[in-house]
Amino acid sequence: MKSIYKYLFLGASLLPLAACEDDFLERQSPTLIKEEQVWNDPKMITSLLANYYDRLPTSLSTLSNWADFAAYDEAMWSGNNDDRNNLVTYGTNRWELWDYGLIRDINLALENLDKFGTTLTAAQKTQFQSELRFLRAYTYFEHVKRMGGVPIITNQLIYDFSGNVTPLQQPRNKEAEVYDFIATELDAVKDNIGNGVSQTRANKFTVLALKSRAMLYAGSIAKYNNLMGAPIATPGGEVGIPADKANDYYTKSLEASKEIINSGTYSLYQRNPDLGENFFDAITKKSNNPEAIFAQDFSVTKDKRISFTYDNIARNVREDNLSSSNITPTLNLVEDFEYLDGTQGILKNRTADNSDYIYYDRPQDIFANKDARLYGTVVYPGTAFRGLPVEIQAGVKVWTGSGYNTVESGQLGTNYTDGKLLTGSSGPHRSITEVSNSGFYMRKYIDPTPMSSTRGIRSELWWIRFRYAEILLNAAEAALELNMPAEALGYVNKVRERAGFGANSLTTLTVERLRNERRVELAFEDHRVWDLKRWRIAHEIWNGSATNEDAIPMALYPYRVVRPGHPTHDKIVYDKLVAPRFRAPRNFQLNNYYSAIPQNVLNSNPKITRNPFQ
Amino acid sequence: MKLKIYSYLTVLLAVFMAGCEYDNYEPPKSTLTGQIVHNGEPIGVRSNAVRLELRQPGPEYPLWKTTPININIAQDGTFSAVLFDGNYKLTRVRGNGPWADQNDTINVEVRGSSMVEVPVDPFFIIKNAAIKKGTSTIDATFNLQQVNTTRQLERVNLYVSSTNIVDATNQRASAQKVAADINGLNAPVTLSVNISSLPAAVAGKQYVFARVGVKTVGIQELAYSAPIKIQLK
Repeated sequence: MKSIYKYLFLGASLLPLAACEDDFLERQSPTLIKEEQVWNDPKMITSLLANYYDRLPTSLSTLSNWADFAAYDEAMWSGNNDDRNNLVTYGTNRWELWDYGLIRDINLALENLDKFGTTLTAAQKTQFQSELRFLRAYTYFEHVKRMGGVPIITNQLIYDFSGNVTPLQQPRNKEAEVYDFIATELDAVKDNIGNGVSQTRANKFTVLALKSRAMLYAGSIAKYNNLMGAPIATPGGEVGIPADKANDYYTKSLEASKEIINSGTYSLYQRNPDLGENFFDAITKKSNNPEAIFAQDFSVTKDKRISFTYDNIARNVREDNLSSSNITPTLNLVEDFEYLDGTQGILKNRTADNSDYIYYDRPQDIFANKDARLYGTVVYPGTAFRGLPVEIQAGVKVWTGSGYNTVESGQLGTNYTDGKLLTGSSGPHRSITEVSNSGFYMRKYIDPTPMSSTRGIRSELWWIRFRYAEILLNAAEAALELNMPAEALGYVNKVRERAGFGANSLTTLTVERLRNERRVELAFEDHRVWDLKRWRIAHEIWNGSATNEDAIPMALYPYRVVRPGHPTHDKIVYDKLVAPRFRAPRNFQLNNYYSAIPQNVLNSNPKITRNPFQ
Repeated sequence: MKLKIYSYLTVLLAVFMAGCEYDNYEPPKSTLTGQIVHNGEPIGVRSNAVRLELRQPGPEYPLWKTTPININIAQDGTFSAVLFDGNYKLTRVRGNGPWADQNDTINVEVRGSSMVEVPVDPFFIIKNAAIKKGTSTIDATFNLQQVNTTRQLERVNLYVSSTNIVDATNQRASAQKVAADINGLNAPVTLSVNISSLPAAVAGKQYVFARVGVKTVGIQELAYSAPIKIQLK
């Protein structure tokens, strides 16, 4: 024991000698990176940019808040708990966003790039600056569409510790000023941003796509807000855009869209001869996809994955033993997909005089001749996913001699006494959770890759923020609003042709028709809420009335007829019903058009005016 | 040795026990109650939807820095809050209720229990509401009165519910008449709901409750009459 102490003492006494180096106190820290190092190294700047891209605000995506796809009129909630089926109202802060942390980081990056970036080439510098300014414009767009005008801050605000904070307290800019700022910024950076045709970093066309969308929003707010009985506005213009600006914004939007269209860089995805599968591929195929303009990508190997598929895949094709089938599309959405002959998409389940069911041979036959996008968006009865049939049947209708007796099972995947199917292994079911309550399942954005619906693997399907079809529809809407119906028809017919309608399927175009086109083409892509908001019809469509069919999710339950010896035996009939687990009609109120300014913001800055209804 | 450990533990336990006190502060005890009125008449609103804001500024703490206490107004237009004694400022929230914006502040002194009446300037109010059961319908007759004339009438609604909380969101059946179908404000307005439009579970009950509401253009909340109990059987 003693001998060890001896060696230890000896070793300790030698230590100071070994440590003596000349610049001991002037070494570079192995853990800290200095500003000069960051802003002269394109790789480090790029990884910083990746952080900012990752922080771009999203309201609904397959990564964040996806559950709220079930809170509007595209889908209902079939998972556990009933929150989204029982939303009496939407909160006044539902879309609240005040992310000046991100804006400040971008402003700081822009300033430091200027100050420290000495060895970067001029081209590199402009490229990075352009990209940062694009990200800032995107962030401001996300703010203005939720909150109305917000303070436009383009440089760091530095506190001088004088005790006087008033120089830091900036008032809100007008709503129109924020949209104008976005337009000017995007114009300034679009030719310098580079990045070729990258689909995950912003390039010239991403910039134009954002401009196309933002200017369309501004134009429709300018127009439709002022058509309301009482426009939503503040006296200072923080909310509300003057009507005379509408044409200018629509023109800017159309110009941006046309620049993308005329460049020929993008096209609608048309590689799969099966039009339904083709529409599904247009969203889910990540390689060689000419339609996606800007997407948030995920990667299993880099461990950046999403569980959207795990949570929302159809019940009987799931690969995990939990979750699945949380958001399920409603009949309302399904019926908004037109028939290919251009007639309204109402499903024909009863005879014209409503005296009897219409009997179908196979579950999918009622959906015959529908818009091919229906198949690409929704898993409906009689279809398959990943090659596996999705078994959707609610029960049987047994003929009693004078009418039908409806028999449903308390369990999934059961047979009736005749040995044939009673309730399908994918439901629908009136009360079981994690199985469709509406009779439909998600297909769009559900990953067909094997094992992607397991918790262990999950999915790497991307989330598309901008795609070419939206640009075509933006162009159509702007052209229609600018009274150029022929031009508008050209754009919208291209989108419809891909869906199977044939060339030039529309010869006249109304605003309502075009709005429906957006609803079906862009379902589950985070457009619906914002579209209804900017058209100022959200409070009419979702008016909270139990008698308003737009405000109530409907379900479609298929049944097999049991009537041995009769021609209708084993045929399929359908019941339309209010989704059984649904409680409160969608109720969008006037105070939801702009979210309330957060209280802590009001408390720290007296120059911030409140939003209307706040 | 063992005994010693136990005795230490006992002492330790005693120390922990002694540290347990319920609260450092007395809970607030004073109450503020009040009512939304126009000409002394209460105005019915949707339950859990319309609010007032109560603030307590101090010498070092200007009004704009204060976080308001939200006071929800019950469906009969009353409200109440349990507060600490003190001087408060009560404000009406812009665009929140079925009345015109008013920027004036009501100073409220809370000592023990206090009462306050909050006068508002409604756009429309409902007078002489009578709701009765007909043969197969529930019929309402009432008069409309416009008070503040800066906004237009949008519609009137009759709501029926199984509980005595009745409004646009708490209802099982409703009827509506838009402004274009209403012949001036002088004639009485009638509305009726078919009992068959009620869900079977509600229609089979002994009684239901009904209320009429009036909606102003650009104002999200309706002004309601008092709920009336309708005997179905």
